[in-house]
Order: sequence, then structure tokens, then C-alpha cells
Amino acid sequence: MPSEAPIVSCRGLKKRYRTGAVETVALNGVDLDIAPGDFATLAGPSGSGKTTLLNLIGGLDTPSEGEVVVDGVRLGELGKNALTDLRLRKIGFVFQAYNLIPVLSAVENVEFILQLQGVAPAERRARATAALKEVGLEGMEDRRPGFLSGGQQQRVAVARALVSRPSIVLADEPTANLDSKTAGELIDLMARLNAEAGASFLISTHDARVIARSRRHIELTDGRVTSDSAAAREPA
Amino acid sequence: MGGLSLLAPMAWRNLWRNPRRTWITLAVVAVGLYSILVFAALLDAWARSSRDAALDVLIGSGQVHAPRYLDDQTIAQRMAAPGARLRAVLDGPSVEGWADRVRTPAVIQSEYKTLPAELLGVRPARERAISVVPRDVSAGRYLAGDADGGIVLGAHLAKRLKTRLGKRVIVMAQDATGALAQRSFRVVGLYSASQEDEDRFAFTGIEPAQAMLGIGTDVSEISFKLADDAGAPATVAALKAAGPGLDVRPWTALAPLTAAMNSFMEAFVYIWLWIMFVLMAIGIVNTQLMAVFERVREFGLLQALGMRPRLVLAEVLLESALLIGLGVLAGAAAAVATVLAFSGGVDLHFLARGAEFFGAGHVLYPRLAPAQFAAVSALVWALGVLVALWPAGKAAGSSPAEVMSHAQ
Repeated sequence: MPSEAPIVSCRGLKKRYRTGAVETVALNGVDLDIAPGDFATLAGPSGSGKTTLLNLIGGLDTPSEGEVVVDGVRLGELGKNALTDLRLRKIGFVFQAYNLIPVLSAVENVEFILQLQGVAPAERRARATAALKEVGLEGMEDRRPGFLSGGQQQRVAVARALVSRPSIVLADEPTANLDSKTAGELIDLMARLNAEAGASFLISTHDARVIARSRRHIELTDGRVTSDSAAAREPA
Repeated sequence: MGGLSLLAPMAWRNLWRNPRRTWITLAVVAVGLYSILVFAALLDAWARSSRDAALDVLIGSGQVHAPRYLDDQTIAQRMAAPGARLRAVLDGPSVEGWADRVRTPAVIQSEYKTLPAELLGVRPARERAISVVPRDVSAGRYLAGDADGGIVLGAHLAKRLKTRLGKRVIVMAQDATGALAQRSFRVVGLYSASQEDEDRFAFTGIEPAQAMLGIGTDVSEISFKLADDAGAPATVAALKAAGPGLDVRPWTALAPLTAAMNSFMEAFVYIWLWIMFVLMAIGIVNTQLMAVFERVREFGLLQALGMRPRLVLAEVLLESALLIGLGVLAGAAAAVATVLAFSGGVDLHFLARGAEFFGAGHVLYPRLAPAQFAAVSALVWALGVLVALWPAGKAAGSSPAEVMSHAQ
């Protein structure tokens, strides 16, 4: 494993939800580091806490206990706006349901992140177009999501996640809505971008093909990390 | 960050995601504003018509009397003809026209009937500047000069007296000594006005009236018409200073019912505005809330991707501002077209008696008041955007975690 400081570091992470008198423990003390350049998959049965863990790492939710550090920044110390800015600059998201902005074209969806970052119009258009070319959508820049297939939409989502060169890309079941051929192409794409761009990936998945392509695999059961291939490879 | 360049295209396209809902909201705003503006223009026309009907016969913008004249409107409460100081104010730039008159209760006798009326001795040239009676002579002629010994009667009074042009009538009134004075006048003209005014006022030259009543050059009242009603307080103060001891009053004090009706109509425009606005606001909030609830995930997504809640709020507000702005433009344009189309007059002869009951003329002349149109339109737009803060606040409060949890 690289000896650099981790991009993501979780310590003693717990998350409890309360519904009336019933308390549900979604995460129960997770310690996890994601290193720069990691291409890691996160698996586990439904309700094991995968999405909750991604939400906490992505700053979309706050832990009941414990701490998340992203690229040296303690998320617990940030206000709502600072968290939003951190997501904008350091984290890329890929969702199961693609979640493109329906009124924007493919290139505008990718540009959206750069526009929020204040990148000049000409530069952002050039970078967004290049990102779409990178994911194999050259010539489809002006199509709106409704005129793209599921696989094409997910490619736009990957381009959007990577265009701002984030520290880590969090992908929640990115292949779950895709047929096997398209899912395979998407996995190849993400693996290639990980290798070429060097961005870390943490992918929540049930898909064995995704797990097979990952360099690191983490199992989550009942809110705990029950196995981590990285730990297994570490010298005793 | 170029916030507007980011938000404006999104806001505009979002409006047309559900064209039916957008068109309905547009129609609600446009029809609401249209009804406010057209109703305001008609009420304004009605108010002006009723005010003019009340003021343009005799009252004008205000009057000057002897101190007790308004309590005892007889020749006993007369005053001297206006002196140099009073004339200096009356001939000033704020006064469009003025006329001094002799005015006394009288009875008018024809061969068939004797009826009560008010005899007015007037200066015809001055009356033309402040009264509609010289213009509204429907038969015969108006008085030719201050010494004209003819009499001009209201058409309805002449009918009741069973007299007509060229016939003679006898006018009887108390003179300066309290004795009964009488004089024969030939009917030279008939005028049209409200039935009440036609029955009430009879006009002759000021000199025959003064001679008949034995009052020398004294007069009963001076009526003045201002170029701009806004200058009334200053002119009244100047006249009071120039005529110490005289009773100077603006028309609002002389015709309180007309003034009250005028204020009521102005207030009614605002009551109507608020009623329509509440209805519009319900429509706007309802549709915008629906639009927001349908897109809760999307607002969460925007925040997950790095859009600050403040910017989400601005995006939804911009949608509302565009939507309401379009409705306001459509409503205002339709209202302007309607008012211009009817600026030649809305004929109310079909409800003539009803209109007269409210003191209005038979034809209303709605006019375009650009400042009022702009102010009401801007107010509706601003209030509409203000009520849209509620749904916008809901959008900005969307949880970005929603997006992830939906994807499970």
C-alpha cells in the first residue's frame, strides 16, 4: 500500500437512526482509510450500512459518533456551506439512478460542476467536452438525459464526477440499473480513469464483476467492516 | 461565480417542464392583474365622473363665502366684490379660472306653476372657465353678458313649470332689506345636467340679479378652479390670508359626500387588489409547492453536487420571478389594450338612472395611468415573488442525503 496520507479516514464511525422509540444502528464503529489512487469496492447485504457510510464520507449526513477526514479536512468541523464547498471541490458522486439534471444537456451537466466552481466559460466548455470524449460520448454533448440510454447517462455521471479532478469518487451501486454489457463497459471505464487520472474510487456494489476488477475489497456487515483486502495485504 | 448565467437557463427550462401547470399559473397571474388594473381604471373613471358631475356645475375646486353663508344661504350673508388682494391670488398661476356670483333661494312662477329654485346671477365669461352649464345648453342660448336679463333654466325645471324658450317667468326672492323682490325674466336657454341640478339652479346675469336684490355690487360666493388639485391647501391658505374674515373652503369640505365617495373608490381599488392578490398567491404557492415537492430529490442532488442552499433558493425564486413576471407582462399588456380601447368612453346609458344615483355621468372615460399601472404591476410581481419564498425555502431545505437513500 502507498505510504501517503489517506484521502479518506474514518475513525470510530457510528450512525444511529431513531424512529419513534425504535433505534436502528446503521454503522457501529467503522475504522477505514482510503488511500490515494485506491479503486475499492464496498459490499455487504442490504442494510449493512454501505449507503450510510458513503453519505458520511461524502458529507451528505453527519455521524452520531466518530470522525471523517477527507483530504486532511475534518468534516465534523465544517458548517453546511463549507461542507457543500468541500463536496464541490474534493468529492465526485456517481449514483445508481444516474441523477443527471434533466433540463441540462450532457455537456451542461458536466459543465455544471465547473460553473459552480467559477471556471471561465470557454475553459469549462472545453474541459466538459473533453470529459465526455473521455467516457466515449463524443457527438452526444447536446443531448438531454431523456435522449440518452441508461449506460450513456451513467457515463455522463462519471464524466461529471471526474471533470473537477476530485480527491475521491463515491459511487453508490453504479451498475445496478445497467444491463451486463453496459455495466461491464462502465466498470472498464472507471478502472481506466482510476488508472489514468489517479482519482480514488470507493464503489458500493453487489456486482461480482465490479468486485473482481477492484484492487481492494471491503465487506460491511451489520454496520461493521468485517473484511478488508487491504488489511490482509499489509505486512504483519 | 456567474450566478445568473448558471441559474437563468435552468430556471427558464424548469418552467417548461410542466407546460400545463406553467400556463395555468401564468393565466392566474395575468387574469388577476388584468382585473385589478381594468377595475382600477373603471373605478377611477367613475370617481372622476361623479366628482366632475358634482363639482363642475357650481362648486369648482373650492369657494369663498361670507363667514355665515354656509349656515344661512341667503342674500343676508353676502360679501363685497373681490378686492385687489383677493383678485391677485385668484388671478395667480395656481388658479385656472374663477367666478363671483350672486346666489339666493327663490321661487319661479310660470303661467301654470310655482316652484322653488336657486337664482344665480353670474358673469357668463367667467363661468365658461369653471362650469359645464354654459357648454351644456341644450336649447336656446347661454347668457350673453353680465347685464343679460334673460334666464337659463334646467330642462327638467322648465318642463315642470310647463314653460319654454321665449316665455316669461316671474322670480321672487327676499331682497337686502328682507322685503319680497320680484322680477320678470324671459327664458333664453335650457341646460342639461343631473335631474337634481336641472330642478335646482336658474341662471341670469349678475347685474340684473344684484339690481333685483338691491345689494349693489356685493356677491354671495366666489368659486375657483385650480390647475392642479394638489395645490389646493396652498391656494386656500393664500386666499384666507388675502381675505381675512372670509370663509374659504376646498371642495372636499363643500361636498363631503363626493369626497367620501372618492376616497371610498380609491380604497376599493386597494381592497380589490388584495382580494385578487390573495387568490393569485394561493395559486402561485400551490403550483410552486407542487413543483418543489416533485423535485425534492433534484434539489438534494444539486446540493450533493456542491450547490449551496442559498443558490438553490435563488434558483427556485428565479423560476417564480420569471413565471410571475411573464404573467404580469401579459396581464398589464391586456389591461393597457383594454383601457386604450375604451378610452373614447364606456357608454352607461343603459343604466343611466343607476349611474346618476351614484353621481356619475352616463359615459365613463377610463384613462391610462402609467405610474399606477407600473406600481400595481411591480407590487403584484414583488408580492408574488415574496410568497414564492415559502416553496423556495422548502427546496433549499432539501436533504442531499435523500438522493443517496433513493438510490438504494
